[in-house]
Amino acid sequence: MTFEYLLCISKWIMSNAIEVKNIKKKFGDFVAVKDLSFEVPAGEIFGFLGPNGSGKSTSLRMMLALISPTDGSIDFFGKPLKKNRSEIMGRIGCIIEKPDFYTYLSAHENLKLFARANGVDYSKEDYTELYELVGLSGREGDKVKTYSHGMKQRLGLAQALLHNPDLIILDEPNTGLDPKGIIELRELLLKLNKEEGKTILFSSHILSEVEALCDSLIVINNGETVAQGRVEDLLSDEDLLVDIEVGNLEKGKVAFENSKWKDLLREQKGNHFRLNLPMDEIPKVNTYLIENGVELVSSSYRKRLEDYFLRITQGK
Amino acid sequence: MKEFIAILKNELIKTIKRPRSFIGFGVVAFICLILQAAFANDGREILSLVTGQLENTLSIEGQVLNGNLICFVLLQTLIIQMPLLVALVTGDLVSGEVATGTMRFLLTRPASRTKVLVAKWLAGMFYTFLLLLFLGVLALFVSRGIFGADDLIHVNSEGLTVIQANDMNWRFAGAFVIAFLSLSVVATLAHFLSTVLDNSITPIVSTMAIVIIFTIIGMFDMPSFNVIQPFLFTTHMISWKDMFEDPVPKQEIINSCIILFAHIVVLLGSSIYIFNRKDINS
Amino acid sequence: MKRITVILFAVLISTVSQAQEASSLINAVNKKFASVNDYKAKVLMKFALPGIKINTLAGRVYYKKPNKLRIIAPGIFFVPKENPMKDIPKLLANTKAYTSIITGYETVQGKKCAVVNVIPLDPNLELIIGKFWISVKEPLIYLSEITTKENGTIRTQNYYGKYKKQALPDKILIQLEMKKFKVPKMLAMDVKKKSKKKEVASKKTGEIYLLISDYKVNTKLSNSVFTKK
Repeated sequence: MTFEYLLCISKWIMSNAIEVKNIKKKFGDFVAVKDLSFEVPAGEIFGFLGPNGSGKSTSLRMMLALISPTDGSIDFFGKPLKKNRSEIMGRIGCIIEKPDFYTYLSAHENLKLFARANGVDYSKEDYTELYELVGLSGREGDKVKTYSHGMKQRLGLAQALLHNPDLIILDEPNTGLDPKGIIELRELLLKLNKEEGKTILFSSHILSEVEALCDSLIVINNGETVAQGRVEDLLSDEDLLVDIEVGNLEKGKVAFENSKWKDLLREQKGNHFRLNLPMDEIPKVNTYLIENGVELVSSSYRKRLEDYFLRITQGK
Repeated sequence: MKEFIAILKNELIKTIKRPRSFIGFGVVAFICLILQAAFANDGREILSLVTGQLENTLSIEGQVLNGNLICFVLLQTLIIQMPLLVALVTGDLVSGEVATGTMRFLLTRPASRTKVLVAKWLAGMFYTFLLLLFLGVLALFVSRGIFGADDLIHVNSEGLTVIQANDMNWRFAGAFVIAFLSLSVVATLAHFLSTVLDNSITPIVSTMAIVIIFTIIGMFDMPSFNVIQPFLFTTHMISWKDMFEDPVPKQEIINSCIILFAHIVVLLGSSIYIFNRKDINS
Repeated sequence: MKRITVILFAVLISTVSQAQEASSLINAVNKKFASVNDYKAKVLMKFALPGIKINTLAGRVYYKKPNKLRIIAPGIFFVPKENPMKDIPKLLANTKAYTSIITGYETVQGKKCAVVNVIPLDPNLELIIGKFWISVKEPLIYLSEITTKENGTIRTQNYYGKYKKQALPDKILIQLEMKKFKVPKMLAMDVKKKSKKKEVASKKTGEIYLLISDYKVNTKLSNSVFTKK
């Protein structure tokens, strides 16, 4: 009995929030998704990437039962979507593509509709808290038709979080958000993930955000998987972006002009020089600069998802 | 059931709050008031079209131009406009939400597609009922308030029937029930087309096109048309007028109601079948 | 020549005597009518008018000399434009305006009746001819036919009972010629019934049947009863 209980608990802990197995989707002769399989472990932030027309939206729609797969299966929380749609949808919050609302209703009226549809009984205080969380306080009574795209995104996020879902699927949630909004969203998602254990499937064209948020990711192109794994594992040394800060700018410029790494220089802003370098070249650059009388203030590197993405989707 | 009631409540709120929903009420109010004013001014002349033929030999006693007659004329006039007003709202219930993208949000909730669709259909029925009730109140009670109540002179192709004022309430009640059933078919047809098509205008235009085509087929006394005429819903849309026959042709009314009801069942069933298999791509 | 003169004289004598007999019958009828200044009574109206369906109606009928008549009943109903119930007493009372003659004898409702033709002296009058079947035994009109320029012929059959003494009938059957009633197309939208269109108003004679009871005679009816509100 105890063993079975432990097995059950361990299954729950180890279980995947999403399991997509060999899904395909055809629209007539056009194959939008060829053969897609991936897993999203519970409690992770998972990046779902792909260029325009890659089959990303179609896949997300299949995962949310908006369109039916031609073949394959999708499971959520260990249960097939086909047979448990109602229960599964009750545990998912989502924004798919642009957030569309009933523009003739206020944001509050819209949220009340969605709360009712989810069987959520919210108090006034609950709504106030939610508006504060997504940054809509004071504007909830306005008609949605007066909202900017960014405000609609915030409202979209509010409706996705309304019923305290276990899994949050966000398709381009930071489109239209100002920089402050992007940072707030990032912090909110991290908080939801770290503190409340929510699984998040995150899709965005702002790859720096994906890189900053996601534990693992999948990249699809032409309806099939082109890369999948943990972010750290996927990004190779080729994708390092090295930032070198110098104390004396003029000497630094001359030193780089005369170096063999001249062509790898990506940009120069103020006293910062940014280069794409393999890992083993970094100490060599640092030594070279010091030997040529350049004051080396700092030297750091980070891996760039953007480069990786372009490389695997466009062959660059 | 609780879930269904919740989404039905949502649909009703949306239907009531949509600006488009008020167009129908505005048109009905405008037509009713303008016709009532016209009848108050020129009613006697309009009536002489019918009674003039008789007045050589007979004089008509009683208040011919009365609220019951005005209501009857208003019903007869508005039977042409009502399908358009109903389709304007019900033809947009599904396709409108697909086109604007809100359907995505609706269908990513726990309620099944069937429940969402049936709730939308019921909201359409509720709107149709409200519109008809509004017409009933304006056409019957306001007309009676202005013109008084008396017997109704009812004209059909067989001639003229005088229906006693005492019988008017139950006859009008029956007529409104049949008219509701007729308009429900139009609403269900618009709802069906709204399920099949993805933009909000085409289902409305298509519904009206079907109503017009079927009405034209129903008007011609040709053998090839006569075969299909009994099965066209437009043929039975005027069955409400049977309530003003004397005696009331019960069997004809029952037959019409069965045909209208069958249309609703088939159209709604088809809508559910199609909607459950529909890909939401917008 | 003598023969012709004799025959003509005989015809003249006969005509004069028939005219005298007609006048005396009409005078007797008028005498009866004169005894009734006004009346009110209960009336039940049944209608059989081509192209018109109307239920039997109960109401009250009011009459006052010389030619006021009003039927009050709830709702809408039809009465002949030239109503014999008021027009006949008025027509016959003005004996100087017409000439009358007996054209024969016929049995109506089992009574031997003289057929009295009434011809107006003024050709410009609306009335063309009036025919009255008056019982030879009692001054009662059992049947009448009034032919006017505008309205054709209105035939009225009177059935007497309880109020026979005052020449007030219990039952009156009024038959009138009606023009074929045509329904304006814009007003008839009953598509389902188009196959029946040919039956419309093939019958051209309309009938209004009045059952009158509970006469109250000479109650000094006020004129206001006859004013439509």
